[in-house]
Amino acid sequence: MSDDEIFAAAYREHYWAVSRYVARRLDGRTSEVEEVVAEVFTVAWRRRADLPASPLPWLYGVARNCLANAVRGQGRRRRLVDRLGNDHTAHRRHVVSGPGTETPGDWVHEALARLAPGDQEVLRLTAWEELGIDEVAVALGCGRRAATMRLHRARRRLRAEIDRLCPALADANASKDHGHD
Amino acid sequence: MTDELDLLRRANPVPDDGPRFGDGPLDHRAEHRLGRLLDDRSTGRRIPLRLGGRFRPAWALAAVAAVAALTSVLLLGGPAATPAIAAPRPLAVLADSTPVPLDRLAERAATAAADGAPALRKGTHVQSWSLGMSDTEPPVTLPEERIVRWTADGRHTELVVATDPRHPGRPVLTDEDGEPRLVDDGQVISRRAFPPSWSDAPPAARPPHDTGRLRAYLTEAVHGEIRTTPELLAATAQLLDHWTLGARESAALARLLADAEGLRPVGGVTDRLGRPGQAYVYDDGSGVRHMLILDPSTGAVLGLEETFTTDQPEYGVRAGDVMQYSAWMR
Repeated sequence: MSDDEIFAAAYREHYWAVSRYVARRLDGRTSEVEEVVAEVFTVAWRRRADLPASPLPWLYGVARNCLANAVRGQGRRRRLVDRLGNDHTAHRRHVVSGPGTETPGDWVHEALARLAPGDQEVLRLTAWEELGIDEVAVALGCGRRAATMRLHRARRRLRAEIDRLCPALADANASKDHGHD
Repeated sequence: MTDELDLLRRANPVPDDGPRFGDGPLDHRAEHRLGRLLDDRSTGRRIPLRLGGRFRPAWALAAVAAVAALTSVLLLGGPAATPAIAAPRPLAVLADSTPVPLDRLAERAATAAADGAPALRKGTHVQSWSLGMSDTEPPVTLPEERIVRWTADGRHTELVVATDPRHPGRPVLTDEDGEPRLVDDGQVISRRAFPPSWSDAPPAARPPHDTGRLRAYLTEAVHGEIRTTPELLAATAQLLDHWTLGARESAALARLLADAEGLRPVGGVTDRLGRPGQAYVYDDGSGVRHMLILDPSTGAVLGLEETFTTDQPEYGVRAGDVMQYSAWMR
């Protein structure tokens, strides 16, 4: 197959997976998903000669950079709006009051949001995109070992944030762990 | 048990089988965009094609020799039969040393940067030791040296070599193929050449040498806010994994680090490459101690060490085990 045919096949196979990847990171701004995904595949088209045999993790890496560019533009707007003090999303952290008042998704998202962006991404790639560690390494553009290390650290930090937000869950797990010993 | 990844999986905001973005045929807009890409050849002309794969620049071969030379220069002693797999201990503070406040070192860095030399260079040269952990096997320390060099036309090459400069000639552990295994000291793990690429986004963009702008740069590099000192240290490592800082950038970074909260001067150390340094420690309260090592005269970052402060029996890790150590060189 030619590069063009390989690209077209990857586009058809992974368009929706890349759309989900982008949607998961745009906090519900689904109207922007299509635009970012179009940019992802435009960049991928220019680099179609580099398309690996298993292109999805690589496409996630491209998508990550496209999102960064998009967020970069939004960031300038966000900083301005934050100064005005009336942006709902800027205050999202203060709205979520705790695990007792929200659905589990909300406080897990809250725990995730408290982590550094790099920690968040390695966790999302593992839990939401269900990538193996080799694929995570491709998506992040790092070595397998570095990816393993990042995931380990991120899991530990997420655990700490979950325990902080939901001590009851921590106690339950502690007793289960004890039971396993 | 319900581990953190299970909880996160259940909180997936856009599940694969959800009502939107589920797998299936392309909708007409996606189909239209694909058609336009395939038809519009002009979009493919910005980056030359077919530059990856078998392309091997001459410098990559030269770099292998450089690594071998570096190894022999940095290390004492000769080849030995025993592999270099013992887990390194944390750096020890020299008993007779006096801690230098980070603020003072930042002032020295500013003075040292007055003439602008050495200059900033894109690319990095780093020796690292990483603890490889698994749920079922004991942890192992994996040492490697990585050199990234950029050319004026925007290409770059990356060379990764398995080596532990503290034990020249001894077999070295690597896990590049998935499972830890011993290889000869200096074995090339990977050698890759990348086609031209450009970006105006950090960390690919040129770092500034003004403190405020450098902080903004690092914030962009990590795709978010830098709220804590460990996050600043992680951003620092990311910067140094892409750039070999000049004196001015080092001075700006030293000032940023001096203004960060909680980095405590503990005294002089000799780093794993045998260089004298001043050490600054931060305990993040979640089981990891960060040690920043700076050149005592220029304030340049020489290394970062992360050490477990609590046992983690599920990974066979004990308090005092070094999780990650990076030593940057020019």
